[in-house]
Amino acid sequence: MFHWLEKNPFFFSVGVFIVIAFAGIIEILPNFAEASRPVKGLKPYTVLQLAGKEVYKKDNCLSCHSQMIRPFKSETDRYGQYSLSGEYAYDRPFLWGSKRTGPDLHRVGNYRTTDWHENHMWDPKSVVPDSIMPAYKHHFTNIADIETAYAEAVTVKTVFNTPYDVEGGTKLGTWEEAQKMALEEAKLVTADMKNKDVKDAVESGNIPEIVALIAYLNRLK
Amino acid sequence: MQSNAAFEYDYSIAKLFTYTTILFGILGMIIGTLIAAQLAFPELNYMFGEYGTFSRLRPVHTTVVIFGFTLSGVFATFYYVAQRVLKVSMAESNLLMTVGKIHFWLYFVGALLATVSLVLGFSQGKEYAQYEWPIDIVIVIVWLLWGVSIFGLIGIRREKSLYISLWYYIACFIGIAMLYLFNNMAVPTALVSGYGNIMHSVSMYSGTNDALVQWWWGHNAVAFVFTVPIIAIIYYFLPKESGQAIYSYKLSLLSFWGLMFVYLWAGSHHLLYSPVPDWMQTMGSIFSIVLILPSWGSAINMLLTMKGEWNQLTDNPLIKFMVLASTFYMLSTLEGPIQAIKSVNAIAHFTDWIPGHVHDGTLGWVAFTIMAGIFHMTPRMFKREIYSKSLMETQFWLQTLAVVLYFTSMWIAGITQGMMWRAVDEYGNLMYSFIDTVTVLHPYYAIRALSGVLYLSGFLIFAYNIYKTITSSKRLTEEPQFKTPMA
Amino acid sequence: MDIRELQGYANFFLTMFLVLLLYGYILHLYRSEKKGEKDYEKYADMALHDEISDAPVENNPKTKESKE
Repeated sequence: MFHWLEKNPFFFSVGVFIVIAFAGIIEILPNFAEASRPVKGLKPYTVLQLAGKEVYKKDNCLSCHSQMIRPFKSETDRYGQYSLSGEYAYDRPFLWGSKRTGPDLHRVGNYRTTDWHENHMWDPKSVVPDSIMPAYKHHFTNIADIETAYAEAVTVKTVFNTPYDVEGGTKLGTWEEAQKMALEEAKLVTADMKNKDVKDAVESGNIPEIVALIAYLNRLK
Repeated sequence: MQSNAAFEYDYSIAKLFTYTTILFGILGMIIGTLIAAQLAFPELNYMFGEYGTFSRLRPVHTTVVIFGFTLSGVFATFYYVAQRVLKVSMAESNLLMTVGKIHFWLYFVGALLATVSLVLGFSQGKEYAQYEWPIDIVIVIVWLLWGVSIFGLIGIRREKSLYISLWYYIACFIGIAMLYLFNNMAVPTALVSGYGNIMHSVSMYSGTNDALVQWWWGHNAVAFVFTVPIIAIIYYFLPKESGQAIYSYKLSLLSFWGLMFVYLWAGSHHLLYSPVPDWMQTMGSIFSIVLILPSWGSAINMLLTMKGEWNQLTDNPLIKFMVLASTFYMLSTLEGPIQAIKSVNAIAHFTDWIPGHVHDGTLGWVAFTIMAGIFHMTPRMFKREIYSKSLMETQFWLQTLAVVLYFTSMWIAGITQGMMWRAVDEYGNLMYSFIDTVTVLHPYYAIRALSGVLYLSGFLIFAYNIYKTITSSKRLTEEPQFKTPMA
Repeated sequence: MDIRELQGYANFFLTMFLVLLLYGYILHLYRSEKKGEKDYEKYADMALHDEISDAPVENNPKTKESKE
């Protein structure tokens, strides 16, 4: 029976393909429509938040931090309401992570402030004395890539119909409008910050990575 | 009777991939040891500015050892083994030689660019699939070239049946092709919008869907890079080195198809959390235990191949490497299903037990098998005996100690942290703040860093031994049939 | 019956089918060897006698040498 396959490489390969493709077809495809529906009231990310998400990905915060609260009492006590599938509807890619060297961040916006993040990224030990997290001082000098974040928003709007520029959605507008809005949003963040260089940079129209990152972290609720 | 006496096997491509296996092995293990040490001693994060933090380097470590070290090893052994079991030389086809050379150079340049891109921070943010889309395209081409080599060699074969190793190489090729393509589907944003960085892309899938597809890749990438092609390697080198025919060819047939079936179950723990009837979940668990049988088949087949020949274990360190690798394979394929049990997973998930599990597989099984393969191939490719047997012994014991230290420390660390996260006092309040559960891990992180240093030292000894073998060891007049000669 | 339940049934029955197929195959392998119809173990020789000058276990009729 099967031994015939080892002498016929083509049919052998087809056989292997069928056997391994099978799990995906049964398990993944039928869930697609259901799993991508957003929860009520969920808004797409603003351009500044997307730029912050890029910083989160670039420095790979997900190496050590999850964004996924499991439905156990010990986790909901520690981090808040457990995560729902629809809350991730605008996350491309998903950033659940797989390892908690540090705590979960899915609702970090509920219990940490701009000020706390600013101190923590500059020197984690200043707020958590035993922390093993590295300092991210370069976030205070590197300028966030607002243009790429805008490109991402335009792309998800045109390709995946993410509700930008619609009633109850997030405003995106043209590139000039988007820049202006990102800068205004950044000023709201820096109002709560104390680093002079960061404030000056935003005043002169450049948004450091730390501002975008904090805007993103504050949005995680 | 046959005119093939004029040909010799051509190992030029296998040699090139052997060099990159060693190169990427050293690079990946240095970074691995560094990031392990960073967890114990955080000051080490600041050696290279923004490019040297744990978070930036972790994906560099994982991708260099997976796509650099392991795949190079797979390609090196493929270009060696496939010619031999098909009884056809690469030199017989100019086309295949050219394809092989392009395959190597594109792979090497691609792997270097990919590594640099991660250090610079270009990342899709998906684990083990961080590379951005331009690099993905290079990877797809490299993979297709390998496909041409596989099926091209098979097309001109003299041996009608495919040997066991080839089944696994083919499965690796098809499996990774399918998984990689689906998981990396992304839309380049600069092409759609006309703004921003050309490297940037967004995933075609969002949120939970993306997690499902990523997880399907993440788990099965382990299956098809760290399991399937490594079985291919050991199915050739263990019988050949020991001079023993494989214990049972029938068992190898069964365990091959069994393994392919078993990976269906990789997906089914999604269904554990969904509203499928309870009796079905129970039956699912029973079947997956029934199916452990074929998945252990390969390892048992390896160990039984040595039946009555266990004395070889004492006089041939190469056999020792391969027997230990098979044992670690059994250990980690038992550990994996245990961690997938719902109640165990509740504790183990997100803890250091998971990297602990991955490393008994990768350090104990994958790297040991690949190094054994290279020890076997080098004297035949370069026609010189192994430079030093005692260095092999030293390396073996250093690295075995390293693996044992690694997984024991990470088991304890993982279970400790998992239990502390959920510990409550008599009033039901959480007993520990998060940072308490981090400081308690310090000694285990230090032990793990030490284990990294030991393993890396073993690997450097390996590299030195191979280097000396190639350059200055005693020449061999004819190719040894079974046992590899060593000084 | 919603899609989840359907998935559950499909997964269950397909897996059962594959398990039966696999164990049926074991039976088939050992039976045909016992009856002497086939000798599977000879193929293991492919790894041991793999010099280019060694005779193949089974010749591939498609390669050029055998056509000559």
